Amino acid sequence: MSSDHGVHESRHPTLKQYVIIAIFLFAITIVEFVIILPEDFRGQGWTIAPLAILSAIKFAAVIFFYMHLKFDNRLLTWVFLGGLALGFAVVMALVGLFTAWTPSPRAFAEDHAKPCTLDHELGGCLEDPSKAVVAPTPGPAPAPDDPGTAPAAAPAVPAGGGLVDTGRQIFITGAGEGAATPCVTCHMVEGVPEAVGLLGPDLSHIGTEAATRQPGVSAEDYLAQSIRDPESFIAEGVDRATPGLMLAAITAGLTDEDVDALVAFLMAQQ
Amino acid sequence: MAHQTEVSHHAPEEEHPTSTGINNRKLLMWVFLSSDCLFFGSLIATYMVYRGQSLVGPYPVDIIDVPITTISTFVLLCSSFAMVRALAATNEDRQGGIIFWLLMTAFLGTIFIGFQVYEFNLFREEGLRIDTNLFGTTFFTLTGFHGAHVTLGIVWLLGLAWIARKGRLGPKTALDVELAGLYWHFVDIVWIVIFTLIYLIGGFDTGPAGDPSLVPHSITGFLGLI
Repeated sequence: MSSDHGVHESRHPTLKQYVIIAIFLFAITIVEFVIILPEDFRGQGWTIAPLAILSAIKFAAVIFFYMHLKFDNRLLTWVFLGGLALGFAVVMALVGLFTAWTPSPRAFAEDHAKPCTLDHELGGCLEDPSKAVVAPTPGPAPAPDDPGTAPAAAPAVPAGGGLVDTGRQIFITGAGEGAATPCVTCHMVEGVPEAVGLLGPDLSHIGTEAATRQPGVSAEDYLAQSIRDPESFIAEGVDRATPGLMLAAITAGLTDEDVDALVAFLMAQQ
Repeated sequence: MAHQTEVSHHAPEEEHPTSTGINNRKLLMWVFLSSDCLFFGSLIATYMVYRGQSLVGPYPVDIIDVPITTISTFVLLCSSFAMVRALAATNEDRQGGIIFWLLMTAFLGTIFIGFQVYEFNLFREEGLRIDTNLFGTTFFTLTGFHGAHVTLGIVWLLGLAWIARKGRLGPKTALDVELAGLYWHFVDIVWIVIFTLIYLIGGFDTGPAGDPSLVPHSITGFLGLI
């Protein structure tokens, strides 16, 4: 240790300088830690600037003294600072590119949030039974029901609602006993909190759209046909209208009354 | 290989005059470190872009432990000091000092890695994996690559200590130690940036329900700097 002072080469700092730098680095780290010690300061935007400046000082101390850039050929300084500047430019460019012109993932998710119980296995939303008994259908409820079939559906009506309510119930929970796959699994309808499915077409305005799908086929007939035999007609230009996804087996358990109720409900989605 | 070994035994800086006036091995190391800035820069940018964007927990505020990591940061700073001592001992041809400080540097680096292993395990137990959320993905990628750099540095230092045991390191081959030192210090400065960004600044980020003012979007944070 006696020769520690005698670091002959001028391009290396002395032991004393190294110790001073080590203490300096420690001190700055402690200051950084103290800055975020009060709970009120943690994560505050204003702490970013002092913390960034302090770590930049530490960064400079290490490269200029520990890595002795200060005592070395100038070219090395430019080689390294050049790469550092490029790296900084890459950071700025990527951050700018992905935040300035694209909505942030969280903002997008919040804007498109729907009430949903996540099913982690299936990666989709589960039907939430606690929400199944929400307010009756808002908006226009004059069901364009067929007088011939309306009485037949009467037994299934839960609380004196019309055919539309029955259809709504079937749409949400499925019909009959057993584990039927309800429509809401794949279809979304605005104003129906349970209907958040994203696999099939959005049925929010199907009552209006149904009339225009097939020339010469009434809206009701088209809907009934599409429920009974989903593959019979695949509408063009409809998002998520995927052939082969909604199999006839899914709706095979529906009675004629169920289908009529569903058609009535769907026709109310103007 | 034989030629290279011979050269390294005969003060390479004098024997190979270069147009730059800098030893080629040293220039190569600095060019490599310079390019590594771009490598870590892109990982840091990815962390910043997705900072505060996770939709499911655990969020940084739930699991980041700043005091523990401050200790491991101290350990890494100490190792940098041990590294400059190793180079000084090499320049002064103190054989015992060379081996001692090289092993000390490697030892402190191993302690740092130990802290990281502990932290990664803790996070895994708390439910944060690399595929859990955006925080997990960017966190493990960035700190994991840094840890890989430290690990490589430890292997390098142990290799040098192995060579030094036969007295083959000294003033004439000081560049061998100096290059390892440059790499080691670089790993240290990368950690200085990571520690500040992920722990001191981003360590208190909350979930989506949190007060938006507590979750400055990365670009906002950046503009605050300028």
